[in-house]
Order: sequence, then C-alpha cells, then structure tokens
Amino acid sequence: MAARYLLYFTAEDHYLYRAAGGVLELEARFSGDEPGVGAFREYLRHRSGALFSVMVDLAGEDFHEEQIPLLRGGDREAVVQRRLAQRYRDMRLTAALSLGTVLAGERKNERLLLASFTNTQSLAPWLDALEESDARLAGVYSAPLLAPALAARLGVRSGRAFIVTATRAGLRQSYVEDGRLRFARLERMADMAPQALAMFVRSETLRLAQYLATLRVLPRDGGPVQALVVAPPGQRIVFENVLQSDARLVFRTLDSAEAERAAGLRRAPQDAGAEALYLHLAAKSPPREQFASSTERRRYFVWQLQRAVVAAGAVGFAACVLFAGAKWLDVIQARADAEAQAQEARRSAEAYERITAGFPVTQTSTENLKVTVVEFTRIAQRSAPPERIFQHVSRVLEEFPQFEIDSLGWSTARRDARPGGGQKPEGPGEAGETVEISGRVNATQRSDYRGITAQVQRFASALGSSGYELVRTQLPFDITSEGTLTGDIGATESNEAPRFTVVLARRAP
Amino acid sequence: MRFTPQELRKLLLPLLLAAVMLACGGALIWSAQDALRRAQMDAAAAQAERQQNGARLARIAEEEREVKEKITVYQRLKALNIIGEERRLEWADAVNRIRANRELLDLRYRVERQRLLASLPGKPGNVDFFASAMRVELAALHEEDLLRFLGDLRDAGNAYYAVRGCTLTRTNNAGGGATIAPRLRAECNIDLITIIDRGAKG
Repeated sequence: MAARYLLYFTAEDHYLYRAAGGVLELEARFSGDEPGVGAFREYLRHRSGALFSVMVDLAGEDFHEEQIPLLRGGDREAVVQRRLAQRYRDMRLTAALSLGTVLAGERKNERLLLASFTNTQSLAPWLDALEESDARLAGVYSAPLLAPALAARLGVRSGRAFIVTATRAGLRQSYVEDGRLRFARLERMADMAPQALAMFVRSETLRLAQYLATLRVLPRDGGPVQALVVAPPGQRIVFENVLQSDARLVFRTLDSAEAERAAGLRRAPQDAGAEALYLHLAAKSPPREQFASSTERRRYFVWQLQRAVVAAGAVGFAACVLFAGAKWLDVIQARADAEAQAQEARRSAEAYERITAGFPVTQTSTENLKVTVVEFTRIAQRSAPPERIFQHVSRVLEEFPQFEIDSLGWSTARRDARPGGGQKPEGPGEAGETVEISGRVNATQRSDYRGITAQVQRFASALGSSGYELVRTQLPFDITSEGTLTGDIGATESNEAPRFTVVLARRAP
Repeated sequence: MRFTPQELRKLLLPLLLAAVMLACGGALIWSAQDALRRAQMDAAAAQAERQQNGARLARIAEEEREVKEKITVYQRLKALNIIGEERRLEWADAVNRIRANRELLDLRYRVERQRLLASLPGKPGNVDFFASAMRVELAALHEEDLLRFLGDLRDAGNAYYAVRGCTLTRTNNAGGGATIAPRLRAECNIDLITIIDRGAKG
C-alpha cells in the first residue's frame, strides 16, 4: 500500500505525518506563517506524485442543519451546492453530510449537516501549495468528520455519544448520533495536571450537553448520553475517578493506548495527542464526506482511476488464470486418462505379441496373412478349371455316339477385365461358367426330323445334368412359333448332317 | 467528466497494462482449452487403441487357429512364387518347355500389361492382387493336349493361372495322311495372378 502524507493543521503549527502500514511517523513540522508555507512548498518539491490528506483541527468549524427535498444524482448535487453557497461566502472548503430522511407532510426530505470553516484564509496557502505541486490531494478532513469512524472503532455504532479527545489543538468534543456527526467544538486548553484536565473534560462535556439540549439537538428527556473519553497516556484512573456518571452523562474512559489498538494504529509519535487517532483513520479509512472540491482532488481521482484500471486488468487476469487453471486440471486429468489407456493398450499389445510369438513362423503379419489367403481363396473359388466341363461332355458323348462336336466354347461367367489393363481394381465378378456346344447328328436320315429333334433334345437333357443347367438349345429344325421352318423335299437327300447348338451354365458353389 | 490530454496520457499506460493482462489471460485460457482439446483427442485415440488391442487379445485363440490354417496356403503361394513380383521370363520359359515336352504342333501366346485386381488393407501394409491377361492359341491333335497344357502351366508356378475361357474348335484337316495334322484348334484366355504383400518381412 502506498504511503500517505497527512498534514495536521492547527491554529498554530502544522505537522506533517507519514502513514504506512498502521504506523504514523512525524515527517516535518511547519510554522503557520509565510516561512512555514515556503518550507512546505520546498518539502513538496521532493514528493512528486505523493498522496496527501489534510486534517484540519480548528476551532472555527461551523455546523448547520438543513433539509432539502429528497433527490438523487445531479439534481441533489445542484441543490446541495446552492444551499452551501447560501450558507457560506467562501465555498472552497465546504461539505454536506447526509443525516438521513425525514417526512415533511406528504413528501420526504433529506436532512443535511452543512459544514465549513469560518475562516479558510489560513488554509488557502497550504492548499495552493499542494495544488501547485504534483501532489495528489486525497481530501481535506476535520477531526469531527472522522469522529463517527473513531466512535465506531471504539465500539459506539448507534445511539447518542460524545467523543471527547485531547489533541494538540485543544479539547475536541464531537456529538455523534447513530453513527452520524451532529455537532462538534474545539475548546482551547493550556497545560494542565491530569486531575485538572479531567475536571475540565467533565465541565466542558456537561456544558456541551446543556448547549445541545438548548438547541434541541439533544432531547431533554432522552435519557443519559454516553460520553466516550480518550484519556492521555497514564491518566485513565484519574479520569475515571473524576468522570463520574450522572443522570445526563454516562462516562466511559479509555486509555489512549487502548484507543489506538481499537483504531488499528500500531505506532504513533511519542508527543502526539489524540489527533493520531484521527490521522490514522484519515489515512486508513477516510470517510466519503470531506471538504476539498473535486477540482482539487482531480489528480487523486486520476490516480485512483489508474489503479482501478490496473486492478480491473489484474482481476480479469486472475479470473482468466483461475479459469485456465481449472482447464489445466482437466488437461492433467485427460492426460492421465490417456496415459492409463495407452499403458493398457501397450500391455494388451505386449501380451498379444508374447502370445503370437508362439505362433507358426510367418513371413508376414498375421493381418496380411489372413487377407492374402482369404482373398486368394475367393479368387480361386470363382476360377473354375475347364477340365470339369470337358469331362462332363465326354461322358455324355459316350452315351450318344451319333453326335459329333464341332466346337466347344467355355468361359467363366465373371465380367471381363477393363480393356487396356488399367490399374483400377476390378469389382467382384459373378462367379459361374457357361459353355456353348455346337455339333452334328450323324447316322440319322436328315428327313427324319422328328427323330433328330428327339435325339438332340435327349442329348441336351443329358448335358443339363450333374449341376449344369440347360440355358438354350438350337435344334436342327426350328419348331418354335417364333422361328422359320424350312424344308427341301426332293428326289435326292442331302448328305449334310443336321447341326445343333446347346448352351449350358453352371453356378458357382 | 472530460479528461485533459495530459490525464489521458497518464491513463494510457494503465490501460495498456490492463489490456496486456487481459490478453495474457485470454492466451492462457486459449492455450488451456487447446491443450485440453488435444489431451481429449489423445485420450480418445488411446481408448480406441486399448479397445482394439483388447479385442484382438480376446480373439487371439481364434486367430491362432486361423494362422495355423492359413499359413500352409500362404507358404505354398510363396513357394510357387505367386506371392512376389511378376516373372514374365519364367512364364515364357514354362510355355516353351511345355510345348517341347508335349510336342505341341503350334502354340502362340500374348501376355497383356499387368492390371490391379484388388488392393486390400492390411497391417502394416496393403495386399495387392495383380493380373496379367494371357491369350493362348494352340493346335492340338486331341482335346487332352489342351488339358495337359493347362495342367502343366499350373504346375509351373510363378503365378496363379485363372482360366477365364477356352474355345475348342474342330479343324477341317482330315487325318490319315503321311504328316500329322492338328484336328483341333484351342484358344484360351488366362489371368496370370500374382500377389504383392507390402507387409511381408524381407
């Protein structure tokens, strides 16, 4: 976390603290006159870009309660600015603290506590010095603006309470109602003994309570009000003895060390008073309400924007990292799964190799061996040898000696290969075989066409056996109605033997 | 709210930084998703291989029986040089030898260029079946001459001889003269089939 510089502004001297990690250190002390401003300017020259906050602890701080219509956004801001302008002549350091809403007839109003300083002239050179340097002004606060935060840290988050502290500037009394500032005053005090200081605290707190009751800020019959008093170091017992509670005030005293612990302040300068608590809160958890204008805080706003942009990028990157991390877990899981599967596959393959090593020695892979033999067997099965048909025809011819064969054409029924011997693989052909037998019928008179026809039909029937199918028979005489029947009935008989053709087929098994 | 050029310049570096961080984040997500996609693909491939190997292992007994059945045929094909490159010179030698041994009167043949019959996927390589068409014309005294020729051709090996068709025709030469004249004329179409096993060792 970046260090923050806090200018503690009192009516006399001004103190510059450096806050970092819950530790408050006094960096410099400036007198309230012109040389002090010069020294501050010189100091700022070496703090380019540093973050600054101003904590004003002056007596002349004005508080005034107003009501405005309940508005939002720009309209509210315009009304607030108008009310501030009506109330304060010098608008440079003004603030409007919301006190909540209240019903006013049929409409709701917002209660505002307008706050400013009666004299901002003493602050102006210091703010100008900050403006003219490269410093980033986070805000201008006052001790009362920080009182509700201090009260909350000290355990008072609701109800009415006085927060009483002794700072370098004097006795600071803030009246807080339900966590919201209602009034504050600073009473100068000289160096006092603890007993006297405690009595002073008691009397001033009673006076303030009476004053607020007169103003009706504090209800008369509202019961006792808690007064939380932070005693200087080592004076708690004295304070507790003096600050006796009564019907109007219930005192609770804390030692300054205890208050610092409750506020989260780890270490403060030795000579610092209770202002260390306010300064620490201004550095660590500054309230939204403060006195500086947006123009004076512009560099701080840009700085915040820079950090917000980088933070948004970092958050986006972190989200991406988380998402990618989840994906990488999936990757690791998937890789482990793949490795396990691969190991299992390797084990199966090794087992397979081990077992197949006992197989008969082959000159090829088992896969190719099977493919080769299966396909070759298929080819061989559809490649019928011609011997079978020759033997069949010979057997039939022995039964029909008068038949003489002129030609025998045998072919497998498989489709012919592509002409030109292309390299494209052929499709599976239709297995089977066909045979066409042409011949003559001897030893029978040509005129005995009935006898010849009967013989050829018997011959064809004999051929169409033993698995062969008779496809077509062409008789010497075409006796079908579709054919042409011719005859030559003359005195001389022709010597030419009648011719026939028989076509057989056989399907592959 | 309007920013001055100076303020915009101050915001430029953080914006750039944020953009770089977001880009890096996006790159991280992209790389993680890409790695996941690849890992899932690897896992799917490994699973498929495991299933395949497991199934192969499960049917190993059947495979052993198949190998024992088929190895004899394969070795026979190898011994007959049916598996291997074409041996056209050996084919010519075989035809000449048969003609001389069988005293065939006339024998002509013509072998066409080789063609691919089938290419079957194997592992590690394909098994290709090739065929070369041979047309044979021979003059025979008896049909037995043709059958003996075909038988001798088969016995010669160097290819598987798939006879596609044969035509046997009686010639008009009458027997009984002083010279022996062929009575039959045979024409055959034969496919000379060879196998290239691209997964064979050696």
